[in-house]
Amino acid sequence: MKKERSLSQILFEPKTIDAVAPVSKVVFYLILGLWTLVCLFPLYWLVVTSLKLPIHVNDGPMYLPGIDFKPSLHAWKYIFVDLGNDTLRPYLNTVLVSLASSVIAVVIGSMAGYALTRIAYRPKLGSILLFILTVILMIVAVVRFGLAWQIAVASGLALFILLLTTVGRRFRKSLHNTDIAFFMISQRILPPVAVVIPIYVLFQRFGLLDTHAALVITYVAVNLPIVVWLMRDFFDSVPVDLEESASLDGASRYRIFFTIVLPLAKPGLAATFLLVLILCWNEYLIALFLSTANAQTLPLLVAAQNATRGPQWWYMSVLIIIMVVPVVAITVVLQRFITRGLLIGAVKG
Amino acid sequence: MLVRLKNVSKRFGDVVAVNQLNLEINQGEFLVLLGPSGCGKTTALRMIAGLETADEGDIFIGESRVNEVLPKYRDVAMVFQSYALYPHMTVAQNIGYPLKLRGVKNTERQEAILKTAEQVRLQGFLDRYPKQLSGGQRQRVALARAIVRRPQVFLMDEPLSNLDAKLRGKMRAELKHLQHELAVTTIYVTHDQIEAMTLAERIAIMNQGVLQQVGTPKSVYNDPGNIFVAGFIGSPSMNFLNGELIDGDFITEKCRIQKVGKGSHGDVILGVRPEDMKMVVSGQSHLEAILYSVELTGDQTIVTAKLGDDYFTVREDKEYEEAIDQHVKIWVDASKVFLFESSTGKRIRFN
Repeated sequence: MKKERSLSQILFEPKTIDAVAPVSKVVFYLILGLWTLVCLFPLYWLVVTSLKLPIHVNDGPMYLPGIDFKPSLHAWKYIFVDLGNDTLRPYLNTVLVSLASSVIAVVIGSMAGYALTRIAYRPKLGSILLFILTVILMIVAVVRFGLAWQIAVASGLALFILLLTTVGRRFRKSLHNTDIAFFMISQRILPPVAVVIPIYVLFQRFGLLDTHAALVITYVAVNLPIVVWLMRDFFDSVPVDLEESASLDGASRYRIFFTIVLPLAKPGLAATFLLVLILCWNEYLIALFLSTANAQTLPLLVAAQNATRGPQWWYMSVLIIIMVVPVVAITVVLQRFITRGLLIGAVKG
Repeated sequence: MLVRLKNVSKRFGDVVAVNQLNLEINQGEFLVLLGPSGCGKTTALRMIAGLETADEGDIFIGESRVNEVLPKYRDVAMVFQSYALYPHMTVAQNIGYPLKLRGVKNTERQEAILKTAEQVRLQGFLDRYPKQLSGGQRQRVALARAIVRRPQVFLMDEPLSNLDAKLRGKMRAELKHLQHELAVTTIYVTHDQIEAMTLAERIAIMNQGVLQQVGTPKSVYNDPGNIFVAGFIGSPSMNFLNGELIDGDFITEKCRIQKVGKGSHGDVILGVRPEDMKMVVSGQSHLEAILYSVELTGDQTIVTAKLGDDYFTVREDKEYEEAIDQHVKIWVDASKVFLFESSTGKRIRFN
């Protein structure tokens, strides 16, 4: 028996559970298409603007090169030929600083994250306070009483160890891994602006201003909490059974970490690496303070195009395009690692 | 003896997981640690493996005390309940991993992997990943990884409990055969008393961290040392009845069973196995009860009868038929009953 479907049923009611009614389908694709346009238009606008002469930009919106205006490569020529090394240097700086910072942060941070999920730490609250107290004493001794810092540090440490072995035994209240993890993430509560001047003074003292090292050190420090926090979650999802099994099979702790845990946390590693890389790549404020010429990064070069003659949109567009391309490429490469289901088959039937 | 536990205790906070455990396992023996969940059997196994440290007591493997020895130096292999296969390695890599860590050369390793895979019938699956295998095959990979390096002791933590009933029966037979073939000392943890009875040379029964009884399957079934062992071993489990022992007769308000022991003993609990009772229509009977349920399992019928607040299970043959809620009479084989002290649960013996 064939059941008749009325026109409205055919248009609005799906045939089966998984199917979508024709009208809904059309609506979905319209919305998706519209959203795709919204997302891609800025990129298109960048490309178009990079091909415009200043006069075209000032003449109001023009959308289609070749029809609305005559495309020109003058901006590309300026950035690549006229600026030449002045483009290349910031570019290499950005690549170098971002990659180095992300790699170091992910390596150190994932190890810390792993330790926080698998080893139970019980630092005594009293000992921590004691340490802070001795550090304050040291600072006061140096700043206020003009003590040589070497002597202050040595005697401060000696005092701390002495107190720890005598009074320290009495401390009862201790912190747990979650407290340590929270302490780490709490470092991100403070906006970087608040500490950018102390950081500047610090690197000035060390003579590291306008060097890669200063940027890398700062980026690693700023991003470590994020890495630790994210990786902790990924390591948590690796069954402890696997590690216990490996330890019975004869693997050492480091071996377990590098041959069992890390391969299984690959999606997390890739995602975290990508996040940190993008954060470093686009970072502006700290770079503004710590670099002037030699270590200048791309975001600063882009901002520099907003010169006395007003924003030079055509140059900015070219710079932004070449700045975006590598990140997109790396994302595409790493995307295949960011998959789910890597742990299927590890435990249970 | 190969593995020896001497006064071993382990606490987790205020909970005593294992309490003064003394146990000796002989070379080549298949010993099953049996008990309800939370009885400390897995903790005991993990202490032998070195995954937990004992708070008190000594653990010996062979001649040496291993309390402080790292797991990898104990020469034991463990099969986990969850299998714990490395999902990013193929079957061959999984099996070969312990050998690789011990620096066995590649050609030798491949040989050993092949041989072991044959023993557990996984030859055709060496290039697959764990996620491409069925539950039973994963179980076999875990087993192969344990046997590939010929350890002194196998430790197995409920290895069959994730399999479905049919496969479990099959794997049980395979496991028993394999252990016989390899003749490696095996300590096997389970809460399933059928598994324990069928696999073990000796069973060690634990409850609340305390070892209750150690013996062959036959002896723990036929000669339980206390009421816990009596009730835990056997399916359906033993029937219990509170009463008094007076002049060798067991007496309650509702029944009297003659000549179950000697002398008088105040409050006692009588235990009788379902197969040592019989439903009778006429003639001598000990209990009069109301039929509660009749379950045909195929080769036999499990009959449950209700007397006051007590339920009795009787094993009858497959022909038994009776309507529920009928009054029935039950005969008890007085020569096969067990008596326990009410207060301590200890077995009362008469010779």
